[in-house]
Amino acid sequence: MDSEHFSSSRRGIVIYGIFLAGFALLGYRLYHLQFVEYDAFREHAARNSLRRIAREPMRGLIYDREMKVVVDNNPSYTLTVTPFEFSWSSLPLLSRLFALDSNLVRYRISKSTRNAFEPVKIARDITFEQLALLEENRAALPGVSYLVESRREYKMQARMAHLIGYTKEISQKLLEKKGPYYQPGDIVGYSGLEAYYEDVLRGVKGYGYYTVDSRGKVVESFENGRSDEAATEGSDIVLSLDMKLQDYAERLLRGRRGSIVALDPSNGEILAFASSPDYDLKDLSGRISSDLWRNLNEDEGHPLYNRCSMAAYPPGSTFKMLLAVAALQEGIIDEKTTIPCPGSYTLAGVTFKCHGAHGNISVIPAIEYSCNVFFYKLIFKLGFDAWSRYGAMFHFGRKTGMDIASESPGVLPSEAYYNRRYGKRWNKGYLVSLGIGQGEVNTTPLQMAAYTATIANGGTYFRPHVVRAIIDRTAGGKKMVPVPREKLPIADHVWSTVRYGMFRAVNGNGTGYAARIGGAQAAGKTGTAQNPHGRDHAWFVGFAPYKNPKVAVAVIIENGGWGGDAAAPVAGSIMRYALFGPGAGTAGGDSLRVATPDERRPKVVPHLAD
Amino acid sequence: MTDRSGGGVDYLLIAAVAVLLALGLVSMYSATHGTEVFVRFQKQIVWAVLGILLFVVVLLSPARFFHYSAYIIYAVALVPLLLVLPFGKVVSGNAGWFGVAGFGIQPSEFAKVATVIALARFVSDSTTSLRSFRDLGIAFAIVFVPWLLIFIQPDFGTGLVYWAFFLVMIFWAGADLVILLAFVSPVIAAVLSIFDLWMFLAFTMVLSVVFYLLRRNIGVALLFLVLNLSVGFTVQYFYDRLPEYQKARIAVFLDPSRSPTSAGYNVMQAKVAVGSGGLTGKGYLQGTQTQLRFVPEQWTDFIFCVPAEEFGFIGAIVILCLFGFVLHRGWRIARDAPFRFSSAMAIGITTVFFVHVFVNVGMSLGLLPVIGIPLPFMSYGGSFLMTTMIAAALLVHTALYNTRGE
Repeated sequence: MDSEHFSSSRRGIVIYGIFLAGFALLGYRLYHLQFVEYDAFREHAARNSLRRIAREPMRGLIYDREMKVVVDNNPSYTLTVTPFEFSWSSLPLLSRLFALDSNLVRYRISKSTRNAFEPVKIARDITFEQLALLEENRAALPGVSYLVESRREYKMQARMAHLIGYTKEISQKLLEKKGPYYQPGDIVGYSGLEAYYEDVLRGVKGYGYYTVDSRGKVVESFENGRSDEAATEGSDIVLSLDMKLQDYAERLLRGRRGSIVALDPSNGEILAFASSPDYDLKDLSGRISSDLWRNLNEDEGHPLYNRCSMAAYPPGSTFKMLLAVAALQEGIIDEKTTIPCPGSYTLAGVTFKCHGAHGNISVIPAIEYSCNVFFYKLIFKLGFDAWSRYGAMFHFGRKTGMDIASESPGVLPSEAYYNRRYGKRWNKGYLVSLGIGQGEVNTTPLQMAAYTATIANGGTYFRPHVVRAIIDRTAGGKKMVPVPREKLPIADHVWSTVRYGMFRAVNGNGTGYAARIGGAQAAGKTGTAQNPHGRDHAWFVGFAPYKNPKVAVAVIIENGGWGGDAAAPVAGSIMRYALFGPGAGTAGGDSLRVATPDERRPKVVPHLAD
Repeated sequence: MTDRSGGGVDYLLIAAVAVLLALGLVSMYSATHGTEVFVRFQKQIVWAVLGILLFVVVLLSPARFFHYSAYIIYAVALVPLLLVLPFGKVVSGNAGWFGVAGFGIQPSEFAKVATVIALARFVSDSTTSLRSFRDLGIAFAIVFVPWLLIFIQPDFGTGLVYWAFFLVMIFWAGADLVILLAFVSPVIAAVLSIFDLWMFLAFTMVLSVVFYLLRRNIGVALLFLVLNLSVGFTVQYFYDRLPEYQKARIAVFLDPSRSPTSAGYNVMQAKVAVGSGGLTGKGYLQGTQTQLRFVPEQWTDFIFCVPAEEFGFIGAIVILCLFGFVLHRGWRIARDAPFRFSSAMAIGITTVFFVHVFVNVGMSLGLLPVIGIPLPFMSYGGSFLMTTMIAAALLVHTALYNTRGE
């Protein structure tokens, strides 16, 4: 038989034995539950049974760097219906009293996955008058009640819509994705910090257990509340943001499309993070009207869109420093190497123009005057591979990892990228425009600010972040958020050369004179992002003071045209405000400052070596 | 020998499956009627009809079809398993779903049977020897690849089934006992090392002694001692460095009574439902636990509680007996199959049924951790129902060609 059949009879019996033992175990257990423990369980089911009611934790607060509360909670009343007690005949009354769509109520009650004894949230943010109506009509509305929840209250002067982000009732889609912790009607962070720190801010729900009779009425607290679990309150977060600077940045952008990111170059802390157009968080707290929601979504300025970290543009000439850093470090050029600029550059019959004929020009004046030909030629000397490699060091083409829910990685082209995209059909011509930050390279203002901060501080890349510390309310400790840093493998003289070029661009004969500030020396670089759909976008990146930088900034003004006109004065104002506060520097207080004709005339500035 | 499963259609097996399918729908109706989830009952009817069609299709396939196309079936089943990782839909933290016209499809279910077929083909090949490390490695890889793809979805419950039929099938095919212990013992060592250091040490010592007695080879015994000790200590090392909440999650997984809120609450409500059913039950549609929806997700993982509460011990035992009968038939078909391939496939399928029934019912009775394994023919879920119908049809298909008597 063993030769005829596969398995030996002994092995067959072992398997059969295992099956049999498994079933015997199940049968015995069944017997035990349904006979031996029957009385206890029957009683338990008849007392029927345990009702579990969630206890909502308080969502964590948000503080600014001076420990002032910027986002607080307010009590709000939420109408609930307990399905088991509810009588459908009172639905018309319910919908009339609270101005509710009866289909919505029906949907909410039937969609609830919990048992019929747990209250379902029907409408958030009902008024005191409605609360009074509920009390008057209690008898006619069985199973209808309310609970006190908290809703966000915004206390800051600045709007900070994209940074803080909004909270909203969880959607069906998100409910499925997030798993069983959340229940319909729960509030959840949808964007910005509210979404990124959702797990930190939200806390953990607690549960109270109650014994109810077979008709579903609460009899008593189960075991005198011994098995209840208290809710764990959400942790608070402390921002690094300079609230006055934030407010100022938002005002500078009002009426334009664009964004400003300002960083502390010594640690990567975000000082200002403004994107325009924006929206008012106060409108999105509590019950949101569908009209408002539609307007926000359909506005062609896309106010919900976070231009600081989600929008990626070609960096234009602000990317020239990257090429200079790479070429200097690789020894392709030194400070004195000159490259001739006859005013244009021709490759395979295509002519690329410069702003002028700069003659034999070295790296510092090339940055100062933003000479295109110098950088067209330099990228060929350096090579594509090294360019991409150095770009990656500054986190171009990947997310910075800032603590914000939505961030674009941008695009940093490389040979592999072009091969993937175009196969063999790309040529050296593609490289020419990359040399001056045009073409397929795309960067976010956040990436540009972090890049500028790295140049400013002499080569340490700090992960940009806006939350300094987390305060655990239950454990009572304040924990600083660790900041990953990376010392880039680039020599000090490289940084000082590039920085001096940026200094000249603002203070010499360069393109960035409009970013000059009274009382301190700024350094920076203008850029213009070619825009096939309309007027070019204006860039400026810079830092100040030149000697000991306290602030690094990236500004983009969409359709602003040339960077020196539109973005540089905004960046100058931000840097001045960050260093000296309101009212300093110019007579006009914190109003937008425009370079005077006198300042446009270049002054000779001595070489300030670091 | 007189008791042989010989030739022809196994009508009794088909009848048992049909009754289980009907009882499943009856239970599901009870668990969902009058609620929003009633639509799932309606969907399940569609699945059941499709399942019956598939059953017939499998039954009508040519005699050695599954033997010849084993590896093709396996390859075809792996493709959606790969694609579901980047393109799948996430349901409760598990990314193993494709959404098609309002119906969710779970490739990991179909892959289960495909893997059984491929493994059966491999272990039954005349060139395969489970005494060689190479062939053992290939057999392992056949199961490891789909298991890994399911594991990273992540779905641990379904993955567990793969290792159960792997062990039974290589045992059936004659693999060495030492080899089997080598697969099983590190897993036990890993779990024990988290629970209790002394139990873990005692286990590894006893195991090494057993090895020595089996083989009279001090080298092999020492090898296993070192293997198990290092696995255990490595697991313990990483476990100790896990954040507290992850430790808690593992602890709750291994012992659900530690968390009265989530998993523990479900198990407690399930036990109350079963226990209060008594001998004859509360009557159809009269179970208070079921009708008042105290048992969460009752139509999937806890479907067994419905008949246990409403039809009592008698109803529950009838269902267990029906499953027992399916297993008995499956085992007998495997034993009497004239081809090594059919035999290995039949025992693999029977094992899949066994693990599903044992773990699922054990879960509902508070005997085993809640790991989300559905009950064959009864739980809600289209992919799973169709897979089990295909699997049952494969058993009947095999029996068709068994020789009668001695």
